[in-house]
Amino acid sequence: MLNTSVAQAVIDHALSLGADFAELFVERSQTNLVSTLSSHVQSVQSGIDFGVGVRLVYGNKVLYGYTNRAEQAELKGIVSKLAAKDRRDPRASLTNFDYRRVEDKHAATRILSVDPEVDNKVAFLLATDKAARAASNMISQTRGSCSQVEQRIELFNSEGLHTGDVRNYTRAFLVAIASDGSEQATGSWNDGGLMGWELIERMNSEAAGKEASRQALVNLSAKPCPSGRMPVVLGNGFGGVIFHEACGHLLETTSVAKKASVFHDKLGEMIANPVVNAVDDGTLHKERGSINIDDEGLDTQRTQLIKEGKLTSFLVDRIGAQQTGYARTGSGRRESYKYAPASRMRNTFIESGTSELDEMIGSMDRGIYAAHMGGGSVQPGTGEFNFAVTEGYYVEKGKILYPVKAATLISTGPKVLKEISMVGRDFALASGTCGSVSGSIPTTVGQATLKVDDILVGGNA
Amino acid sequence: MTHQQHASQILEQVKAAGATGDLIIDQGRSLSLKAREGALEEYKVSSSQVLGLRVIKDGKVGTAYSEATDSEALKSLVEQALLNASFAAVDGHESILANAVKLHTEDALLCPAEDIAIDEQIDFALTLERSLATRSKVKNVPYNGVQDNTGERHIFSSAGLSAYSKSRMCAAYAYALVEEGEKNAMDGVGQAARLFRDLDLSQIVEQTHENCLGLLDGTPVASGHYDVIFDAETQVQLFQTFAMMFSGKSAKDGVNPMREKVGQLIADSRLNVFDKPQNSLGFGYALFDSEGTQTQSTPLIVDGHLSTLIHNSATASFFEIKTTGHATRGPKSTMGVALHQLEIGKGQTQVKELLKGEYLLLTDLTGLHSGANAISGNFSFGASGYLCEHGERVRAVRGITVAGNFYEMLRKIALIGDQQFWNWEKSALMPHIRFEDIAISG
Repeated sequence: MLNTSVAQAVIDHALSLGADFAELFVERSQTNLVSTLSSHVQSVQSGIDFGVGVRLVYGNKVLYGYTNRAEQAELKGIVSKLAAKDRRDPRASLTNFDYRRVEDKHAATRILSVDPEVDNKVAFLLATDKAARAASNMISQTRGSCSQVEQRIELFNSEGLHTGDVRNYTRAFLVAIASDGSEQATGSWNDGGLMGWELIERMNSEAAGKEASRQALVNLSAKPCPSGRMPVVLGNGFGGVIFHEACGHLLETTSVAKKASVFHDKLGEMIANPVVNAVDDGTLHKERGSINIDDEGLDTQRTQLIKEGKLTSFLVDRIGAQQTGYARTGSGRRESYKYAPASRMRNTFIESGTSELDEMIGSMDRGIYAAHMGGGSVQPGTGEFNFAVTEGYYVEKGKILYPVKAATLISTGPKVLKEISMVGRDFALASGTCGSVSGSIPTTVGQATLKVDDILVGGNA
Repeated sequence: MTHQQHASQILEQVKAAGATGDLIIDQGRSLSLKAREGALEEYKVSSSQVLGLRVIKDGKVGTAYSEATDSEALKSLVEQALLNASFAAVDGHESILANAVKLHTEDALLCPAEDIAIDEQIDFALTLERSLATRSKVKNVPYNGVQDNTGERHIFSSAGLSAYSKSRMCAAYAYALVEEGEKNAMDGVGQAARLFRDLDLSQIVEQTHENCLGLLDGTPVASGHYDVIFDAETQVQLFQTFAMMFSGKSAKDGVNPMREKVGQLIADSRLNVFDKPQNSLGFGYALFDSEGTQTQSTPLIVDGHLSTLIHNSATASFFEIKTTGHATRGPKSTMGVALHQLEIGKGQTQVKELLKGEYLLLTDLTGLHSGANAISGNFSFGASGYLCEHGERVRAVRGITVAGNFYEMLRKIALIGDQQFWNWEKSALMPHIRFEDIAISG
């Protein structure tokens, strides 16, 4: 995408200005989004994202710029502007790039640049709509979408690295709205992965429509949620978003290096109940958070974060490694050329345990079974987090009594990790998107159903 | 090639294909600085451009965008938009408006000239971080930054529209982490101005430090129902979270619970809500919308009655009314509607009366993106702030949730203050509202 001689000239220019490290991240991404509203196509959108990100490092200082123009003069101009205040004695110029071919371990078979398959996507979405409406005449509306991205990246750096990769992301969504005339409630379904439209081969439109409808109808009948401190059983799959937010972000060197994480000095210490084993794994086949190489050109890996309650590793990018001394973990990620890379999660999950759902529900005198979780957020400095429950049930004396609405769970990362007392066997992964300092990136969260003994439930009963 | 020439070339291709269309060209330049431990940690500059084309052919709408501007990319832009249109359902309401006008915002108003050296901006960023970091109990200032962004937008249409706007926003923010023994707290504030030299560094430092120390001893309050006042930031966040209630697009799509309620009493009769895009003190200022329709003040709720929803020409056509000038479209998105600059009218209550007795002042809400359902109105957010009595902060409150139904809350207004405040981003202007009987879990 970028002429090698241009890349060499720009990086040599950065070295001539004394940069310790220089990097060019070139991206050309093709996008396609098909949206349906109820039983018709609402829109089809497509486009091309193109740009070059320029990163210079002087000591621990990161200088970053980007442009949509890939001409040598433009890129050199950015380098000069960035280095204006940090210019030092020249460093030896780059002798040559050593091109490194990356093996695609997640090769897609139905890719956007060959055929966007809009007709097939429309057919799938309309079938989910039909299935959702067939489930109940109280389903008043559905919204569906299929998004597909083919991201081509190319990296050059002052250590001679020249490499590239192609990432295909596909994701499908369905939201169903149930209405009883006076109230409305929503339910949703989604699936996605690091793959092309072959995603269709594992999706079932009938099951997707029914699931979105089921959730919407449950929520329509839900009562206000009781509030206060109580035990909560978190459902499998997307329930893992709690670990992602409450703990995962605090293990990224982006916050660890700044000592802005409550865990920054806890490596090797017990930070969780011994039943907790947690992993961030970028290698899982075709999962949405997987990558061949990270956005700094390093092979990704499986990183054991917590072993039997003990903190065993952080997630480390190039700058994080430089600032903390920990080895890089192939976790340097960014949304696009518009962002400098940062240490970010990939597929993050708590490993399976040995408990059963009935056992967990049966152990609660008064609590909540949060079958499906929505999103949430965390403040890394204090570890305080919040999460929305999108399908929840009130439990009393070991029995599920009724569905509840508008519940939020709040606690702190360090506390909730110690309150996890039981982990089930029904492990599942769920795809998502994580927003942070280097933009919104594809991720996966996961866990088996697990029980947290004490958490604050916010409801309005 | 100039933007006008690019646009002419593209729109000629659109017309040659038997379609109509409009083209948005957004350009931006930005500077972002972050400091850490007395040194510059991030220095980011950008220059960006993106073209977004909308075409309408045989009643079908298609859009496409490109950040690349080579001839191949521009040719593909038209082909893609036309291809995308071919898959769409026929929309009898969306059209390219016949507004062959030239519109231009005033640079002196939205993008005033300022001769400022980068050294001065770097010095500001470093001083901001250091000034806070050396305050009592401050462990560090992990999140801080200074930004200087200038954005330009051109809109051209096959009907002859040529609209241009340019605006600048300078901003600074700082979030500090304070510690005392086992206790910690993090909070911060931001500030926005058209001119960099109008940013007030000491105000950011003082306010952030005061907020952090104030929350350090925070503990939950007992669960129950409280009178609640949201501060200027959180109240705007709350109204923006449920702004879909005013959307004519959502009403057309059948997901706005207010669709059938225009003209009806939906809120306390003292509540008056407007959209005022031509208040140039705010950063939501807009002379025209994304279809080139000139904006105007729009009363949304008058004496508690829903006065109108907001519309672009397509949603207005659907409801057989006139556009309200709220079309919104980015180069990468389809046509929608959005508020420009929300304003709530002043009430009658003086501060002393507003702050009488016991109430919770909420200064931070978390989970706004995940804990709210704009269709049902239900919400549950993490929150922090202060338990107050007669305007005095009795103690800090943290680790609580606030939950309820926003649409019901609009009827639970106890008092509306007689002074208006901007949020720091200057996107909305509101008086404080005291809500009663709000569920708090602690």
